[in-house]
Amino acid sequence: MTYINNAALIKRQLMVRLAKMMFAGTLGTQVDYIPLQQAPRESASVRCCIHHDRAVLRYRLMALLGFAVENEKPEDEIRTLASYVAEAEQKGADRLDDKILTVIDEACSSCVRANYRVTNACRGCVARQCIMNCPKNAIHIENGHAVIDEKICVSCGICAKACPYHSIIYQPIPCEEACPVNAIKQDERGKEKIDESKCIHCGRCQQACPFGAVMERSEIFDVLRMVLNPACKTIAMIAPAIVGQFNTELGKVVTALKKLGFDHVVEVAYGADLTAEKETAEFVERVEHGSVCMTSSCCPAYVEAVNKHISNIKPLVSDTPSPMRLTGEWAGQKWPGAKRIFIGPCVAKRAEARASEHVENVLTFEELGSILVAAGVDVLECEETTPDQVATATGRKFAISGGVAGAVIAAASGRGVKADEKLFNGLDKKAFATLKVVDKVIKNTTFIEVMTCEGGCLHGPGVISNPVVARRFLEKMLKEHP
Amino acid sequence: MSKKFKITICSGTACYVLGGAQLMMLEDLMPAEFRDQVEIVGSACLQACRQGGSGQPPFVKINDYLMESASIAKIVDYMRKH
Repeated sequence: MTYINNAALIKRQLMVRLAKMMFAGTLGTQVDYIPLQQAPRESASVRCCIHHDRAVLRYRLMALLGFAVENEKPEDEIRTLASYVAEAEQKGADRLDDKILTVIDEACSSCVRANYRVTNACRGCVARQCIMNCPKNAIHIENGHAVIDEKICVSCGICAKACPYHSIIYQPIPCEEACPVNAIKQDERGKEKIDESKCIHCGRCQQACPFGAVMERSEIFDVLRMVLNPACKTIAMIAPAIVGQFNTELGKVVTALKKLGFDHVVEVAYGADLTAEKETAEFVERVEHGSVCMTSSCCPAYVEAVNKHISNIKPLVSDTPSPMRLTGEWAGQKWPGAKRIFIGPCVAKRAEARASEHVENVLTFEELGSILVAAGVDVLECEETTPDQVATATGRKFAISGGVAGAVIAAASGRGVKADEKLFNGLDKKAFATLKVVDKVIKNTTFIEVMTCEGGCLHGPGVISNPVVARRFLEKMLKEHP
Repeated sequence: MSKKFKITICSGTACYVLGGAQLMMLEDLMPAEFRDQVEIVGSACLQACRQGGSGQPPFVKINDYLMESASIAKIVDYMRKH
């Protein structure tokens, strides 16, 4: 199960406070009070003292305003958040270039480098297998207990296996352990840094960090500015995974979005219908020209992974645009000039949207949820309305693992191409190794679907609902609207 | 037969977004010893957040008791003690 996580809750509470001020029109003058409101004087501190807590909250707000914390110069430490609001207003989307995820140096706890630690269960025994078997001589006895010198330890784990009392434990660095591409590493001070040349923006480090030190650079500010401006027309493009995110029917979420001020609401599952159609045509054509396999291209973190890590399989990746891009292109023709905002569970979509001319901004479900809370819009109390563009069950299934492959294979079969299905449900190191040689392993005609998040988009880093609960809603919907 | 505990989970948007989503797993994760004694109902906003108290969402009602900052662990703990 996934446990309730205070670091994630604090982030949402801050989003609510920020959005509330935007609705009240007081952000520019009041934003610097947010850290004080979130960590008031008499409250118990989480870190060493409330001043440190407040400093971290200030950095979190910087990220929520869209800034990369790493870019702060030494003299910027005295800058007010209000000055960042002014800069965001002036620069607009230009400030969002570069990094997708940002690490808050001040929040990163510089986890102990060595992955093995001796606990107080150590009895200082005579056998001392830990010391005797350590290949690096990294262990010595201090006050009757074994101690590992973290500067020498290479985390081989032999001591943990050797200890007859199981007193040596494995303690990972959560963000590094979660990263499938070794893109997050400690610098010489022990602070984590993301290597942009490796990062695929899957968002796992952000979910994994127990100190909440990794943040997305949010676009809440930009989206709310557009929504609150009556002269600016906006289109909410809701990802297929939105079903079940608010523990109710999709139609109520559509009404809630309109109440917030979005002018149009379209299902990206409609774009997924188009993707399925085009991708099938592409697959059939490739097979007719002698290809054995083709992989999906709708998961942006996977496409990024191919570009940055397994470029040898690039020719196998479908050229069909993702559902988000096709929806954006369609919406741009239908409502010219309106701003298109993709609302989904995904961090990597931010990078895809920035590179695309068909999408202006991206929100996650948790950002949308926080905005709704700030606006006082209760989704459950809304009437049901139909989106301005609806989709079929084919496109809606894109939210779960197997949805894309199922759609393409069924449609290809209708055109006389029989194909096997191969699912990579979650991109981990093992999946990488297999994908790298996938064209040599596969013999029969096969459609390969790759989802970076295990389980599919319902398990994305930006979701609100427990994926088990969301899946029940999606299955109910697919049953009622087959 | 009426059950010993009636648990009402607020699924208003404020509760749901600020931690309540996990409570929807309560039924799946209920310890076997309590399975027969509890009735779990989802509810529209209980209005607890709008009454201006100092409590934090998510809110849950166990019979007449209103729990703030509810979690599955806190709910089960309450049932053990009553």
